[in-house]
Amino acid sequence: MIYSLILSVTKKISVNIFGLYYKLLYICNIFIHYSFIKVNIIMENEEKVMTGEESLKIISEMINKTKFDIRQGSFYLLFWGWLIFACSLSEFLLLKFTDVIHHYYVWLLVIPGVFVSMLYGFITGRKAKVRTYTGMLYMWIWLGFFISATVLFIVHSKSMYTVAPYILLMAGLPTFISGFLIRFKPLIAGGICFWVIVLVIYFVGPASYSLGTSVAMLFGYLIPGYMLKNRVDHDAV
Amino acid sequence: MTRFKELDPILHSQLRLAVMSLLVGIEMAEFTYIREQTGATAGNLSIQITKLKEAGYIEVTKKFRNNYPQTLCSITKLGRQMFSEYVNDLKDYLSPEKLG
Repeated sequence: MIYSLILSVTKKISVNIFGLYYKLLYICNIFIHYSFIKVNIIMENEEKVMTGEESLKIISEMINKTKFDIRQGSFYLLFWGWLIFACSLSEFLLLKFTDVIHHYYVWLLVIPGVFVSMLYGFITGRKAKVRTYTGMLYMWIWLGFFISATVLFIVHSKSMYTVAPYILLMAGLPTFISGFLIRFKPLIAGGICFWVIVLVIYFVGPASYSLGTSVAMLFGYLIPGYMLKNRVDHDAV
Repeated sequence: MTRFKELDPILHSQLRLAVMSLLVGIEMAEFTYIREQTGATAGNLSIQITKLKEAGYIEVTKKFRNNYPQTLCSITKLGRQMFSEYVNDLKDYLSPEKLG
């Protein structure tokens, strides 16, 4: 009695286990079979003979995909445009309407600006899935300008009030080159604006330096920056 | 009779050519970016990238970003040279048809 009960329970369990085993084996076989077919299909597609025209089509399609998104540069133009615009206009207003002696203190805002800029560059650089040559060139040009400007500030530390035309003169170059690099005419015009304004403020005199810098920021960085940001078509080079 | 130079078998393959065309215009690209642009499956792309790497056409660097593995690919000097040769051979191959 007990023996037959044990036997029937054992039989039931073994049927269930082996049934499950065979079911699993069956499923695995199907999976292996279909995955093998799938692999073959992929490899077949991959290894199929291409015509010359097909090769050229692939090359041109892929090269078109590796373009630098020109709107990437708009952040720096707008950030620095607004920062320098605010500093220079504040200095101009302080000079014109108040008796504040240390009006140039407003320029200390540039220091946290450098850190914000570096942080933004670091974060976006880490997130970027691709590094284009245009993007890298764009970055090196502006980094070169930043280093030159820092050196100029150190060299001219005793006569800071005369530094504005030189900074604007230098800022014109990366703006102008960037405009050509990303084929964006407002930025090219922005670079030219810097140089024209340098000539104007040089002849007008030091009293015009702050206001001249504000105008240069408006035409050199802010207007091209917003145009770049809002550009939706032909947004890559 | 014009004899054509045989096209490089490493490059004369859809996905490998797509990867090389993509990398020739950029300094470095992540594996996921290449997958997105080529529309290939991860497995297939991985196989083709390995073939290109073994041929010395590309360089593969493995890194970690936020504790996640990151695979970066870039074209080598040899890869650039072979790609240029492939395009020249392709031009020779296509020219008689165009002229004809």
